[in-house]
Amino acid sequence: MHIADGYLSPTTVLVSYAVAVPLWVYGFKKLKEKLNEETLPVIGALAALSFIIMMFNVPVPGGTSGHAIGASLIAIIFDPWIAFVSVSLVLLIQSIVFGDGGISAWAVNSLSMGFVASFVGYYVFKILKDKIKFAPFIAGYISIVTASLVVAIVLGIQPIFWSENGHPLYFPFDLKITIPAMVGEHMLFFGIVEGIFTQLIYGFLTKKELEEVQ
Amino acid sequence: MKEIKKRLLIILGIMLALVPLGLLTDNPAWGEWDLDYYKQKLGFVPQGIEKAASLSPLIPDYEVPGLGAVSGYYLSAIIGVVLVFVLYFILVKILKAKNES
Repeated sequence: MHIADGYLSPTTVLVSYAVAVPLWVYGFKKLKEKLNEETLPVIGALAALSFIIMMFNVPVPGGTSGHAIGASLIAIIFDPWIAFVSVSLVLLIQSIVFGDGGISAWAVNSLSMGFVASFVGYYVFKILKDKIKFAPFIAGYISIVTASLVVAIVLGIQPIFWSENGHPLYFPFDLKITIPAMVGEHMLFFGIVEGIFTQLIYGFLTKKELEEVQ
Repeated sequence: MKEIKKRLLIILGIMLALVPLGLLTDNPAWGEWDLDYYKQKLGFVPQGIEKAASLSPLIPDYEVPGLGAVSGYYLSAIIGVVLVFVLYFILVKILKAKNES
């Protein structure tokens, strides 16, 4: 789901940064409220967990692979804004140090895997938590599938708007291909991976400790 | 918070130890192909993608030069985790300094 440099038109890059920057500013304000010596190890470890889970590549039929994100876990354990900022920082490290995801695509990647995944996960969990035991699973599942839809749309509009003489300049496959491919594989496989991860870790972290989190 | 912290560090340790499992597949993620893929599929590489391919990161694809795949992946995971904590540590310092002034 990591969009690389060169996949997005300059217009897309500009618009995505224009959307992301105010959200980052607000997110850092939230982080400032919550980050202190006591919460630092918890937030740091949750963000580190997101970094690590993204290294677990799961192969799927069709010759591709994918991984969970961990955004919904941070969102439901701690706070969706902190989750958004944390995943953004993880993506920045991945981009600069490991070439996983582009710098120009940092805003789009942060919006999809960070913002959308965190807030969708958070609200789904909020609605379901008192009704269903598997609320964390469903939150994780819907969170990553929604994020994949955002990525599919951003990639899929590239050849529609930015082509020259029939040759796409940036990402070449349009919505008819990106949506079934991206959303499909996340519905079938990676949504389940994200769901299991969210459910297991949430269960382990909150067992008999609920009063401490709240 | 203390108990959560302890449990998080346990999970982090286990996941870190298991991280080479992520190497079990060579399949790229959908949309994260190399240039050859586009040449094969389309007959050409889109201009923007070709131009951007020249950028090279410090540890491309989590492969540390001179190290084997597994040890390189371990080192990458450790570097990533350390960087996450360092970034947050710096943020705490900055935010605190601002609060005091």
